[in-house]
Amino acid sequence: MEAFGYAWSALTTTPAAFAAVGGVVWGILGGALPGISPSITMALLLPFTYTMDPIPAIVLLASTYVGAEYGGSIPAILIRTPGTNAAAATAIDGYEMQKQGRGGEALGISLVSGVFGGLIGLFCLIVLTEPLASVALYFTPPAYFSLGVLGLSVIASLSAGSLIKGLMAGIVGLMIATVGIDPVSGVSRFTYGAPELLGGIPFILIMVGVFAVSELLVQAGRPEAKTSQKRQMTIRLPSWAMLKRLRKPQLIGSGIGLFEGCMPGAGGSIAAFMAYNEARRWSKHPEEFGKGSPEAIAAPESANNTVAGTALVPMLSFGIPGSNSTAILLGGLLIHGLQPGPLLFQRHPDVIYGLYSGLLVANLSLFVLGILIITPAVWLVNRPRPYLMAGIFALIFSGIYSIDNTLFDLYLVLLAGLGGYIMRLLGFPFLPLVLGLVLGYLIEANYRRSLLLTGGEHRVFIEDPISLGLLLTAFLFVVGSGLRDLRDARRKMREPGGKS
Amino acid sequence: MLRLLDKDFWVGLSMLLAASIYWIEADKIRISPLDGPVNAAGLPKSLAYALGGLALILVFRSAASAALQYRSGVQALAPDVPAGERMKPHLRAAGMLAIGIGYLLTVSWLGYIATIIALLLAVSVYNGARLNLRAIAFAVCGGVFFHIFFVEFLGIPLPAGAILEPLLG
Repeated sequence: MEAFGYAWSALTTTPAAFAAVGGVVWGILGGALPGISPSITMALLLPFTYTMDPIPAIVLLASTYVGAEYGGSIPAILIRTPGTNAAAATAIDGYEMQKQGRGGEALGISLVSGVFGGLIGLFCLIVLTEPLASVALYFTPPAYFSLGVLGLSVIASLSAGSLIKGLMAGIVGLMIATVGIDPVSGVSRFTYGAPELLGGIPFILIMVGVFAVSELLVQAGRPEAKTSQKRQMTIRLPSWAMLKRLRKPQLIGSGIGLFEGCMPGAGGSIAAFMAYNEARRWSKHPEEFGKGSPEAIAAPESANNTVAGTALVPMLSFGIPGSNSTAILLGGLLIHGLQPGPLLFQRHPDVIYGLYSGLLVANLSLFVLGILIITPAVWLVNRPRPYLMAGIFALIFSGIYSIDNTLFDLYLVLLAGLGGYIMRLLGFPFLPLVLGLVLGYLIEANYRRSLLLTGGEHRVFIEDPISLGLLLTAFLFVVGSGLRDLRDARRKMREPGGKS
Repeated sequence: MLRLLDKDFWVGLSMLLAASIYWIEADKIRISPLDGPVNAAGLPKSLAYALGGLALILVFRSAASAALQYRSGVQALAPDVPAGERMKPHLRAAGMLAIGIGYLLTVSWLGYIATIIALLLAVSVYNGARLNLRAIAFAVCGGVFFHIFFVEFLGIPLPAGAILEPLLG
């Protein structure tokens, strides 16, 4: 009952409902732009959340994620160019339907399935998060340190690219987190006399740089693809008979989305493709898949919208984000001094239940906004890319300046953008870097706190049973992933003319 | 055999160098009497060792792969695209960065509204828009919109410009 009170209060006494609607609108428009992922759409908003109250700020970011997952399907269906990675599976049959003159129907199926998946994801988030978070109440400083190590190891192991590069990216993130005043002794580290660095490098600058600026740099190097599909579109919602047919693929998609969302590093795109395959396997009309099947749109769209909810489970329970988008959401929480985990439920239940109620509004309003926003979204998809890039560049420069009113931050963002561009070129994943940066304080503070308690005995990390369990799991992930890398390298070597 | 080495070899070497520099810088961190069993340089030095170790694995893995290929008589393939063409996207990306740096160097002098208009125009033209009335109108309208939103609506004190400030009072 108390939870309902917090949720109701968040909706009636704070602008959380407006933030939810605004986030969905921004998310749909951002997700509809090819190349602009949900994480970039969220990163662009991050500077504006600094001055907001915590509840609307977090709701705004989370709702953007919800909107972006649907928005990605619009260009996927219209011009076969997925706005987000997760919408790539939707493009297969969505574009086929569009070619058959059923684009409006495809968009309607995508919207209905997205709302269905989003609500299932929210339900799972509410049911799973608090019990999981209560486990963390038993955590001691060594266990928290080991949790940070596990989070980094899992993400580095499961991220795209090689294990070694994932681990390296995580370490570089931790290195960046060491810049500034040392939290224990007050000694300054790596500041080189720059007062702007004393407080450390704000992770928002790194996030905006590596996600958004590096994407603009990559796009600047690509010639603009001419699109000839400049047409208007109206959504056609599915009939009752069609809704009945879509029930099974939607449930398959949501089931996979639930599992994949809770798994760090998996994300919406894997869930969407798995859902597509499973829906085909269980369909009464598998022959229609790839030729414009409504079920082939319902399953991946339900899956990636379920992930938008369930991906928050590990982030809120343990403070370990499993994807780029949830890492940015974690950044949004930390900006407001909110550390995820069981204490967040005890100290700030208003934020948690405010987030739940905001997400409910976001998912319900997605249904209405998805219909209303389709015309401006299609208009935006058809805008020339140079103007969109210029607008995004100007938004980054203006938004980042507004955080601390200093040009120094903008230089750091450009530097982070260059770093992100080089990481893309060399095949380094972003998520371990961001995670290292975000978890840097948790790892270092708990490492040193543990050793302070034991007079420098490292044995404490294996004497604590939770810590030992977490470290062993991290070890298994790293070894398993290392063996997988080795097997892949050997296979490549055996291929004729193969080069690892 | 050198031509058989892939880019991971050079990435590993660069990371090894970065780890060494980071360790040297970490070694200069002042030791405080408030430090416990692990001082402020403790974690940074451990990170430098970890990064160096991983960099060495990358270097050895790449070198071993190249050695195996060399022994089995694999020839390095000539790149399909000439070096000039391969560099083109990176040069274009550098151009975008230069526009950004140009904005940062001039915004304090010219002021936010003038430089944001110039930025919008420069980025759109650089990325393929024609320099015509439409592009100029986009830049001016966009600049005015950004000024109204950030300066008037959000109250952000974006630079008025050292040149324009005295004129505007």
